[in-house]
Amino acid sequence: MSWPAPATVRWLLLGLLLVLWEVLPLTGLLPELFLPALSKTLGVLYTDRQIYLAALLVTLYEVAFSMLIACGLGILVGALVGGTALLRDLLLPVFSCLYAVPIVILYPIFTAWFGIGSSSKIAFAGVYGFFPVMLSTAAGIRSIDPQFLLAARSMGATLSQQVLRVIIPASLPTVFAGLRLGGALTIIGVVVSEMLTASAGIGYLVTLNRTILDSPRVFAGILAILVLSIAYDKLARALENRMVVWQSAGRQPRSTPRLGATAMPAPAAA
Amino acid sequence: MQHLANLTELMVAGEAAAIAVDRLSHVYAGTNGGVAALADITLSVGKGRFVVIVGPSGCGKTSLLMMLAGLRQPSQGSILCLGRPIPKPDPQRVGVIFQEASLFPWLSTLDNIEFPLSLRGVPRHERRRRSEAMLQLVGLDGFGERYPHELSGGMKQRVSIARGLVQDPPLLLMDEPFAALDEQTRMTMGHELLRIWSTTSKTVLFITHSLTEAVYLADEVLVMSARPGRLIDHIEVTLPRPRSYEMMATEQFGRLRDRIWQQIRKTP
Repeated sequence: MSWPAPATVRWLLLGLLLVLWEVLPLTGLLPELFLPALSKTLGVLYTDRQIYLAALLVTLYEVAFSMLIACGLGILVGALVGGTALLRDLLLPVFSCLYAVPIVILYPIFTAWFGIGSSSKIAFAGVYGFFPVMLSTAAGIRSIDPQFLLAARSMGATLSQQVLRVIIPASLPTVFAGLRLGGALTIIGVVVSEMLTASAGIGYLVTLNRTILDSPRVFAGILAILVLSIAYDKLARALENRMVVWQSAGRQPRSTPRLGATAMPAPAAA
Repeated sequence: MQHLANLTELMVAGEAAAIAVDRLSHVYAGTNGGVAALADITLSVGKGRFVVIVGPSGCGKTSLLMMLAGLRQPSQGSILCLGRPIPKPDPQRVGVIFQEASLFPWLSTLDNIEFPLSLRGVPRHERRRRSEAMLQLVGLDGFGERYPHELSGGMKQRVSIARGLVQDPPLLLMDEPFAALDEQTRMTMGHELLRIWSTTSKTVLFITHSLTEAVYLADEVLVMSARPGRLIDHIEVTLPRPRSYEMMATEQFGRLRDRIWQQIRKTP
């Protein structure tokens, strides 16, 4: 017999997990404290929907602003560092090292500087998401084929035309990959900081309900964040895919035609 | 080769010549006094001629071409293209085609061809008209909406040629444009290039490693020595036009090739 399509298998697996989520706690194989049944979780999410919605809005608000900081600042600094040899040699090693540090450990500093309200979360998550955006922007600009700029110059492009018409389009795929990762990290950053010190937001709800051992409400919060993260990832990938036509070809100007491309030339027409 | 005493003579000669180079030398800055790339080059290329420069690797041919294109300035000496100096790139006067096609992967074939026009702000329908004419000229009719990653190496070079021709420059500089292609494609492309050139009255300066390609394509072959490059020979190729593949088997062809090879071999 032949295997079903991978997509079908994935959906089946997902369905299986959901079924297990429901069945295992109900049959007592897993204690309800560790894994409340799916139906209970969804039920609680529904009855408390006002609370969860309000919390989600707070979280989204913080995510939006920190994404603005992370992406905006990340692209700006990344472009400067990637494009200028001086800044690159000075700063890139520093930033690469900082990226490896678990920034979460620095969160108390943010609360000391910005208080325990939204500002500290936005600042923290902004910094958290800044690094991948900055590093991939710098990498994207550095890896541009210098022949592109030579060709552009020979065609009479001014400096601003070289930046707008060549450098930006050429580095866009890498920048978008960085934005996807950076955005995901800002979500993590916001949620984690809400869990550490907060009075609002989904992370706060999760921590609150954890301390009173209300598992269904904890898992409801987790589910909400899960949905948010997945939605963001799908959106970011959809945006990225709009550029996939030349994403792999951008770095290898002499790549062979893709399998399935119909443009194989006749022998006489090289 | 003509040795011209001063700039005035050069400019007078420049009126008649497409390219006039006088005592051009170039040294690349670096440790130990830098690297001498070109030494005292003087040459002139008549209008409408197809001139090929042949020389060993590293002899400075590409540097010379960059200076003719206005992409670099020589340390010494002067250059006139169509009677005027060329301090910066002037794509309407001098078209440049490099070894790497360097087509922008985010643009379609037609968008790539009309890129130089869009830099100048030429209106859309006019750009399209010209780029489609160029597409036809290089024999890629129907491939206008393809993207570079869907094209073979030879096709990409055709697009690169179309792009260099789209502003109809009277002078065309080509830096080993077929070097990255396999031998069969090279032969086809060379033949195609001659066909395209014969429909225009452009002047072409073509750089290559290949002795066969040089003799096959050229009206005149200029032979350069190893670094620092200087011109060591100037050979008239009197084979009739249009050139054909059969000419490559003739004794005359072989003698011309041999002469070039002997010259190159002699240099240290």
